[in-house]
Amino acid sequence: MDRSRRNFCLGAGAATIGAAMPAAAAPGDATPGRRDGDPAHRWAMVVDVGKCVGCQACTVACIMENDVPENSFRTIVSTYEVTERGKAGSYMLPRLCNHCEDPPCIPVCPTGATFQRRDGIVVVDNTVCVGCAYCVQACPYDARFINHETQTADKCTFCVHRVEAGLLPACVETCVGGARVFGDLNDPDSAVSTLVREESPKVLKPEQGTRPRVFYVGLDPRFQGKVDGTPTLWRPSGQSHAEKEHA
Amino acid sequence: MMDNHIVEVINVTREVAWLPWAVQYFFLIGLSVGGLLLSLPGYAFAREDWRRLGRTALLVALTCGLAAPVALLSDLHQPGRFWHFYVVFRPTSWMWWGSVFIPFYVTGLLLYAWACFREELQAHGRVDSRLAPLYRLAALNGGRNDALIRAAGLFALAGALLVALYTGAEVAVVKARPLWHTPFLPVQFLLTALAGAAGLVLVLNRFAAGNDRAVEVRGNRLLAGVLGAVMLVGALWLALGLSGLDAIHAEALGSVAGSEAWRVTAVWAVAATALPFVIAVARPAGTGLLTGLIAIHGAWMFRWTVFIGGQTVPKTGAGFYEYALPAGPDGLLGIAGTAGLWLFLLIAITAILPSPRRPAPGPARAPYAPAGTVAAAE
Repeated sequence: MDRSRRNFCLGAGAATIGAAMPAAAAPGDATPGRRDGDPAHRWAMVVDVGKCVGCQACTVACIMENDVPENSFRTIVSTYEVTERGKAGSYMLPRLCNHCEDPPCIPVCPTGATFQRRDGIVVVDNTVCVGCAYCVQACPYDARFINHETQTADKCTFCVHRVEAGLLPACVETCVGGARVFGDLNDPDSAVSTLVREESPKVLKPEQGTRPRVFYVGLDPRFQGKVDGTPTLWRPSGQSHAEKEHA
Repeated sequence: MMDNHIVEVINVTREVAWLPWAVQYFFLIGLSVGGLLLSLPGYAFAREDWRRLGRTALLVALTCGLAAPVALLSDLHQPGRFWHFYVVFRPTSWMWWGSVFIPFYVTGLLLYAWACFREELQAHGRVDSRLAPLYRLAALNGGRNDALIRAAGLFALAGALLVALYTGAEVAVVKARPLWHTPFLPVQFLLTALAGAAGLVLVLNRFAAGNDRAVEVRGNRLLAGVLGAVMLVGALWLALGLSGLDAIHAEALGSVAGSEAWRVTAVWAVAATALPFVIAVARPAGTGLLTGLIAIHGAWMFRWTVFIGGQTVPKTGAGFYEYALPAGPDGLLGIAGTAGLWLFLLIAITAILPSPRRPAPGPARAPYAPAGTVAAAE
């Protein structure tokens, strides 16, 4: 904690030096402004929508792994009942942070608390975050929220702590249908690289220009942006945070 | 087509992350900027016929400008970390620029207000009272200095324009929210802020600045002009959205047009703009309190609708999120607390600098005489 706080203050100086000497960026670091992580990797996820059964095991695994507070979600499987020509069926869409190549949440951050690692993972340093929620507004995917235990911005980290230890993200590890595939886009032989190459998967809200690194195989265009439908029956935030605390 | 539809069964409801504190901040800082602009003709440009309206407008600028940053700080979920803004250089974030512009503006505003009130401070210092030495100290043994007022006024004006720019841009750049992401928004913020400031001038004129008929008529005419501009810009926004000529505006309108609640809000907004406009044009005298209150309400409602309403539009989910105003600090208490702080500032400032007695009919630049002088002479 102390280390990151000191780094944060030093960051002011580093930013100035960085601005003055752009050539000083580390070799191999193609994208300035990114730090930490190994630039040899570019982590990504491919979700095969057809394989998702909507069991929400990923939702629960994420909450357990990351100690996500009650009524908050870093990932969830949005579930829809779709009726076509009188026949009803289900449509499942796992949602999470898209770890965009051009993340709109980062430039708006007034303190630099949220940043992109050189392996593409977008993270929040919650010892630096002031909880202004500007990033929450800027994310087109509603992937960010204020964590009321830390009172800072929170989101999916691709389970960066697990990835660094050579493990898969908790949601991928637990997915019963094998709908979530995680891997390195910089490795042409990885499962994600192969799927992206061969299945030409879609991304959510491509018109936002964020270039997401969470891809979807079999994504119905009706679910690519804001879904035009009858709203959700389940409203976990009906009760305010303050009320719950006093209850 | 009737048998094709989608029902959302499970999804996340994201709560509002910019709280009513943010509404209060944007409301108060807007009114402060508006008040400052309305005070400039009378003080910075020494137009005597604008002087009395200018004094009330200066009260608006000062009280709102001092209360606003408190509301902003409270909107941070980690207010104790506000200093984090000041140890980094983040030019890509309009909010970071805001953290630079706000102290710049408030400093300019305080300097300008002191220069404007110096003449009054000097006059209070001449009265036989135990507080007189303090007033003399506050006046730094000087009086009215039009060159100083103008310089400080232009300094504060620069700060005000930067604040107006950043508050508008900060919200308008959020591409993820179509309702916010229009070039109209900064203009609408500024115009409704001016309307709110003119409204507060009219209300303060009634209660805290001597109920001056000339100020009321001038304030009402100003208000009518600004409300006319508000309606013009609003109509243009609607026309662009309806015609589909411009994708950005069509999307902004489309994001809320399907909601009954939003349609009611739109009708309400039109009524809250047109009604005071008609009254102010038809009867500028004797109606200042009414038009003023409606204008203040309109400026606040605009921000409430943009911020709280805007955040109830899901980015990916179906329909709209529901919002219920919490009673605690994240809701009603925050709104009431900010209002209370503003009222305290108003009482404190008007206690230190009571509204001067109306000058007797005579030469335009009659020597200034505060209430205390008359009392002492008697």
